[in-house]
Amino acid sequence: MNNLVLTIALPLLGAFLLPVLMRLSQAIGLWLGPIILGYGCWLLGNLWFSDISLPLSIAIGGFDAPYGINLYLDSLALLFAFAVQLLGLICWPYALNQDTARRQALMLLLVASSTGLALSGDLFNLYVFYELAAVATFGLVAASTTSAAYAATFRYLILSGIGSVLTLLGIALIYSHTGTLNLAHLAQLAPELLHDRLGMTAYLLILIGIGVKAELFPVNAWVPEIYATASSRLSGFLAGLLSKLALLIILRLLVLIFDQPEAVQIVLVLGILGVISGEFAAWRAKDMRRMLGFSSIGQLGIIFIALSLPDERGLLALLALSLHHLVIKTGLFMLADGWGGSLERLTGAAKRSPVGAALFTLFALSLVGVPPLPGFWAKFTLITELAAQSEPLYLIGLLVFLLATVIETSYLFRIVAKLYSSAETTTNQPEHQNMPGLSLATASLFAITLLAATVLIAPIGDGLQAVAAEAKNAELYIQTVIPATPGGQL
Amino acid sequence: MIPGVTLELILYTTALGLVIIGLAGVVLSSHLFRMVLALVIAEAGANLMLVLSGYRWDAVAPILLQRAEQPTMVDPVPQAMVLTAIVIGVGIQALAVSILIRIRQRYGNLKRRDVAEKMDAEIAASAGIRRDISQDAPLGERPLSPLPAHTAESRGGDA
Repeated sequence: MNNLVLTIALPLLGAFLLPVLMRLSQAIGLWLGPIILGYGCWLLGNLWFSDISLPLSIAIGGFDAPYGINLYLDSLALLFAFAVQLLGLICWPYALNQDTARRQALMLLLVASSTGLALSGDLFNLYVFYELAAVATFGLVAASTTSAAYAATFRYLILSGIGSVLTLLGIALIYSHTGTLNLAHLAQLAPELLHDRLGMTAYLLILIGIGVKAELFPVNAWVPEIYATASSRLSGFLAGLLSKLALLIILRLLVLIFDQPEAVQIVLVLGILGVISGEFAAWRAKDMRRMLGFSSIGQLGIIFIALSLPDERGLLALLALSLHHLVIKTGLFMLADGWGGSLERLTGAAKRSPVGAALFTLFALSLVGVPPLPGFWAKFTLITELAAQSEPLYLIGLLVFLLATVIETSYLFRIVAKLYSSAETTTNQPEHQNMPGLSLATASLFAITLLAATVLIAPIGDGLQAVAAEAKNAELYIQTVIPATPGGQL
Repeated sequence: MIPGVTLELILYTTALGLVIIGLAGVVLSSHLFRMVLALVIAEAGANLMLVLSGYRWDAVAPILLQRAEQPTMVDPVPQAMVLTAIVIGVGIQALAVSILIRIRQRYGNLKRRDVAEKMDAEIAASAGIRRDISQDAPLGERPLSPLPAHTAESRGGDA
């Protein structure tokens, strides 16, 4: 089972070897990354279909938890680790230019650290992977080499730096109070030691710190500029997956350690504020990339609302919304590769690129939640769950969510109408160049995934339900990492 | 020493104070390089907090000796963690400064507001849209053209 470590170690090794190999032989250098990621996909895919009993915990370095660092693999972690490797392969910077080696090395670094975020079962280890992912992101955004990209990277770096200081402070508080950083061990100790004011402070610090990547409401000022200046493939990866991984950490913290109503309510309030600010800003945006960025803030807000729901079906809604957003937003960013500029320029674009327009319409329909498409089921689960809650705050969440859907419909179908409008372009702006073939093909891939999910919605729903039930089971997590000793004490 | 004020309390207050000073500096400073420096201060505070979380006042350095009875030792885990955190911090600071050099080369200065405006303008231009009007500037044309700086100053002096 130890080859699970390879999904983190191999991309890391590849990232450091790549610049050297590229000098020796360009052919080997170019193939190294895709081969590593392909192997990772194969490995994790095999695990999914093998009969190994999940969840399992792997001690790294020969020390058992809670003294050593462990990787924790349940269906949820496996799902996200697989998504990281696959999406890394899809969003791989294939374009050849003079700094291909650097971009590819950074991308491998990003994939390695993201896989680590999905798998690690140690709080400080998570922090290290989180910083590693941040550094790789800075490098990849700055690789665009426009002045705006540098300025945007700097803004992101400062916000992310604030986030890491807050996270570190939270970790220090938790450690000084409990003397451990293993998530399972913390989960055992939390009811005695961390369910007080100090624990809440630590939780808030970590929530805001990790929330920088998850596009949480007060700390998401970096989002529109980064997505406007980074390459579309990178934006797709960041909006689609890295934000979800940060969310996964917060989910683990909520399930295992801070299982209190106050902790959940904060997430709900921040989520609601995120939805409102993101969707209105997206409605006002005049260019495609920033619109997608703001819309991503809004969608993440909706996912945070789902995160605040107390029971398993809430977690099911969270998973469905996350995976749905992953597919849709990455696909839309691929389309933005050709249609990145002003929305005005898209008038009549359906004539020039009928496939692109059809894909955009499909994504928009699913994002809004039109019945046969998966987006409907994800949103439907969330609505029924929200309506079943008795707390008034959830009712506000429901109202805001419905309002957000109306706004979403308005700005997405405004674009669809433009795409299919027959009116001649009145502005004298240059027309878009043709959609790059690779982006269109990638976007089609996401559309096919979406359609396949529409047909297979029942088995997918059952599968996600099982994943949600397993992830919600804190007792199972503790038992897996620290097998019970007589008396239940360490 | 003032009664009730222990060394421990002073150190914890210092750590927290450094973080607060640093964060306030990031928010308030108008020059990008000062923001980096403020971040360095905040990180120092967080690191100090991490070291303190495992420190014991009556203990020795955590080295195993061939002795019958071991004295109480300081917790080595936070010390290992703080090393990692310091290395990460230094790496990010170096990256920040190198990005600042590029910004300085392209935009000519490092004033926060100026860089933000130039960045907005550049993104808007590359997307081909008209820029949003800044909230600080009033709508419409100016009724009077602004005076050159030196005449305005001398007038102020006369009055």
